[in-house]
Amino acid sequence: MNVNDIKKDFPILSRKIDGTDLVYLDNAATAQKPQAMLDALLDYYTMHNANVHRGIHTLSEEATEMYENARKVVAEFIGASHTEEIIFTKGTTEALNRVAICWGLVNLKKDDIILLSDMEHHSNLVPWQKEAEQVGAKIELLESNTGGEITLDEIKKKIRPGVKVVSVTHASNVLGTILPVREICRLAHDVGAVVCVDGAQAVPHLKVNVKNLDCDFYAFSGHKMLGPTGIGVLWTRRELLEKMDLYEYGGGMIDEVTYTNATWAALPERFEAGTPNVAGAIGLAAACNYLKSIGMNEIRKHEIELNGYALQELGKVPNLKIMGPLDAEKRTGLVAFYFAAPSSVVLPQDVEQRKMTAGHIHFDTIHSHDVAAVLNQSGIAVRSGHHCAMPLHKKLNIAASTRASYYLYNSKEDIDKLREGLNKAVQILG
Amino acid sequence: MDELYREELMAVYKNPTHRGQVADPSVEVYKKNPMCGDELNLQLKIEDGKIVDAKFSGVACSVSVISSDLLLEHLKGKTVEEAKSLSKDDLLKLVGLNLTTSRVACATLVLKALEEALKKYESTNI
Repeated sequence: MNVNDIKKDFPILSRKIDGTDLVYLDNAATAQKPQAMLDALLDYYTMHNANVHRGIHTLSEEATEMYENARKVVAEFIGASHTEEIIFTKGTTEALNRVAICWGLVNLKKDDIILLSDMEHHSNLVPWQKEAEQVGAKIELLESNTGGEITLDEIKKKIRPGVKVVSVTHASNVLGTILPVREICRLAHDVGAVVCVDGAQAVPHLKVNVKNLDCDFYAFSGHKMLGPTGIGVLWTRRELLEKMDLYEYGGGMIDEVTYTNATWAALPERFEAGTPNVAGAIGLAAACNYLKSIGMNEIRKHEIELNGYALQELGKVPNLKIMGPLDAEKRTGLVAFYFAAPSSVVLPQDVEQRKMTAGHIHFDTIHSHDVAAVLNQSGIAVRSGHHCAMPLHKKLNIAASTRASYYLYNSKEDIDKLREGLNKAVQILG
Repeated sequence: MDELYREELMAVYKNPTHRGQVADPSVEVYKKNPMCGDELNLQLKIEDGKIVDAKFSGVACSVSVISSDLLLEHLKGKTVEEAKSLSKDDLLKLVGLNLTTSRVACATLVLKALEEALKKYESTNI
């Protein structure tokens, strides 16, 4: 795998930011797009644009074939047994909402336990909170240890009769931690629970096979894996699809409609009301094909190498604290960090106490927004804030963190620039 | 944004004059910026309709700290009415930085806290 060659496939990477080369390290938020994916979108809109499933004319036939072929490509990419198990959504958020609403409402009842982890993105937390509130179910959490990992002991302790669904991230968007999803599935199935996996941070970086994982739902987004925005996937084990409530009603999802009633189309159309995101699906398939041409195992190897290098180099920056496991193989391609206050001062958890003490300590730390702004002056794009994981930051007692996330087109040189930029930030703000 | 990290502004950031606690405040407000998790606690001492002391504390970025410090400096001796009439544009002019869209929210956190504090003060003192 040659990073310099790969870089050439991504037009945006030759952009300058205020005259300096762009160093794009915000891939966990969204990834850049290869020319092959952009070409696929342009080709669809230029040559084949039509609505799918409904027309007899040539363009509609072509568009339908391209859309359904995209479903096949995506199914193969994640090792699904059946193409109709792939439902296109607008992203991971919608996919997870669908599980919470469409599966949850039919299958959860009062006092059932919904087991999540303490490192969930808001999109795998808030829908379950709403669902729990509606049916009277309870939310419990798999707690990570100080190393940012969830141990097998913790999983064995929390998965017990009464747990009806375990919904966890495959890889944390803050800590980078890869969760032992296979073990979670095995233990959950033993107590009759289903497992829903948020794969937004995993599918772009790991070779994911839903059959091997043996999960029941798997959700991910196109735009984090080189595809366009507005397209995502909910993979659902076929048997469960039959037991789920429908999400939306309208055209395309019906079999027969009268003025008073309707019957539903076959799978997966039943779950895709309205005109689907045809271009998005085609773009996503092009992204899958591009990733396949490089090889997911190659990408993973490259990211482990970058992880190791980043952990080593960022460790040299004064007062910088790395979040999550310090083992390069235990994380996906990202590293989040913060600048620690002197160890003698601890930010109190209690808001009332916080008000009184916070003012005396924050000047000894560097705020993630300032870090990101100083890095931006060197053309380095990173994310700052809570990364849609507010409760995790609160638990770890940090206001915000900075996250650098890499992908197949990033190199050790990018990490070097990041380290230099961080040293500059310390110089200015420290 | 480049001018933000100038030395004189960094001096304000590292050692803001109006950081701390007001003894016996007339009103106190705690505000959070949900976008970034910044926390700001604002205390005002008001006597005869005038702001005689104002202090802030919190966990915040440089834009928020600088903006808070400059605003509180500007507020001292002003009447409640004058403070109430301060707009977002007034504040941004006071800060004098060419802020990017995402950082404007950092600068205005203190203004939102001020607005809330004055409302709270009036509702309990009239």
